[in-house]
Amino acid sequence: MAIFNAKDRIIECKLVFYGPGRGGKTTNLEYIFKAFNKNTSSEMISINTMGDRTLFFDFLPLGLGKIRGCEVKIQLYTVPGQARYRSTRKLVLKGVDGVVFVADSLEVRRKANLLSLRDLADNLKSEGKNIFRIPLVMQYNKRDLEGHEVPLLPLETLDMDLNSKLKAPHFAASALKGEGVGATLKHALLLTLRRLQTDLKWTR
Amino acid sequence: MQTSEKESIGRLLKEAEIYRSHGLLSNSRAKYLEILSMSRKSSAISKNQKFIDGIKSKIRAVEKSLDELRKRPDKPQLNQDMQALIKKLFSFSKTEAAAAIEGAVALAKFGQYEKALYEFHLLLSQGILPLVMAKNIIRCHVALKKPDAAAEEFSKWLSRDLFSFDELAQLRSFTAAAFEKEGIHTPLPELFTRPRKTFSVNKEEETFLEISAISIHLQNGPFQSENLDFEVHFQSANTVTVHLPSTRKEIAEFFVPGTRLDNIECYSPITVFRSSGTVAGKATIKHGPKRGDYTLDISIDAD
Ligand SMILES: Nc1nc2c(ncn2[C@@H]2O[C@H](COP(=O)(O)OP(=O)(O)OP(=O)(O)O)[C@@H](O)[C@H]2O)c(=O)[nH]1
Ligand SMILES: [Mg+2]
Repeated sequence: MAIFNAKDRIIECKLVFYGPGRGGKTTNLEYIFKAFNKNTSSEMISINTMGDRTLFFDFLPLGLGKIRGCEVKIQLYTVPGQARYRSTRKLVLKGVDGVVFVADSLEVRRKANLLSLRDLADNLKSEGKNIFRIPLVMQYNKRDLEGHEVPLLPLETLDMDLNSKLKAPHFAASALKGEGVGATLKHALLLTLRRLQTDLKWTR
Repeated sequence: MQTSEKESIGRLLKEAEIYRSHGLLSNSRAKYLEILSMSRKSSAISKNQKFIDGIKSKIRAVEKSLDELRKRPDKPQLNQDMQALIKKLFSFSKTEAAAAIEGAVALAKFGQYEKALYEFHLLLSQGILPLVMAKNIIRCHVALKKPDAAAEEFSKWLSRDLFSFDELAQLRSFTAAAFEKEGIHTPLPELFTRPRKTFSVNKEEETFLEISAISIHLQNGPFQSENLDFEVHFQSANTVTVHLPSTRKEIAEFFVPGTRLDNIECYSPITVFRSSGTVAGKATIKHGPKRGDYTLDISIDAD
């Protein structure tokens, strides 16, 4: 539900980072905030208190400048990934234009990834949206742990588990090191803006 | 300790540490427990009490963190700035009233009940969807575990002309159901007869013209080129109820409560006048020959 102000030619849209708890959504946003600092008019806001688990959401508005004669503003959100915050995720997903699904490469999180993806599909559905239609990018995060003393899911397994039907563009990443974060975001923005151009018949 | 055993325990220890540092506490705990049971089985390690105590204390620490997380409030109170931000970010509608309602509902859903209460009271005092606001007010009081406040609120509504008898009856059963769900036994004042309405006639009801039909012209949206004509089936003060056949579902879906209607032509037996209004309610008829049709309540601005 992007907001298109035809008079001032401003487009405002919403990109939500979704995924299992502790998968690295907030870390993605933190990196983006650091890297794109010059484009943000305001701060990154993490609406949570104690600890580092997201309780409500993180919010980061970015200005992308002029695209095809329109001022484009994007709002990035993360949801709280822990299962018990389902109602909050639903709320944050309201009016979403595009989704980045941050999957956790840790083997112990295999089931959590699947459950979170299903939760996303359900919540999109109750928003009247379809996971097969919405601009969606997959990110396989925590790849920097490859070669460490911890079982990781191979990229092929992640892709088979999560993306065999969706066939979304996918990126290996390390949100902690910032690797693949920019590529994920760029692609998600590309898909989202492309869709908005069709939906809003947005031409010069 | 054999090297291979030592190595594999070392690997498991690192693994448990990584889970812990990522906040995956249950996984970390499971890993430490695995290490503990492995160590106890190993003839070499089982004698190393210092090592075993070390693992035990790690397990205790992880369990303590897990416990703290469980005890933590799910939706802590936020400061005013954050509440204002939530209100702003989660109101999408273009009409002012609908946006205000969305903002207040979002605050309640994020557990900011006190602030939501303030907003719902404000909307109620502005006469915006009173029944809906009243239910939300009850919900907030119940969520705050303040049934007395809910009961008091209901008594207040009883003594004012804000709601019709039927609406009060609805509110009472709504509140009673909310109490029951939470196992609350706070008594609610009874509704006795239908008296007040008959002798304290609402001022608006007295002065508001009888309307027999309306024609709505929309300035934008999918029906902007159509005149939407309706016969009025029922009128209470400035709120008229019209029927919409089930075949015009698209229209029914468009008219969500709170939608502003800027151009309404009202036909009364003695005159035609132009006014504006708000969609005050919508329902589906559940019984009888008109089953499946919709009813729309439209409150006409009284100026
Ligand atoms: N090694 C490594 N650690 C990561 C990476 N991304 C995130 N983490 C760590 O994983 C933990 C969880 O990261 P967050 O960004 O808070 O995860 P989240 O998805 O926002 O979690 P919730 O808010 O609970 O849904 C933190 O300890 C991060 O440092 C990564 O790419 N590599
Ligand atoms: Mg987070």
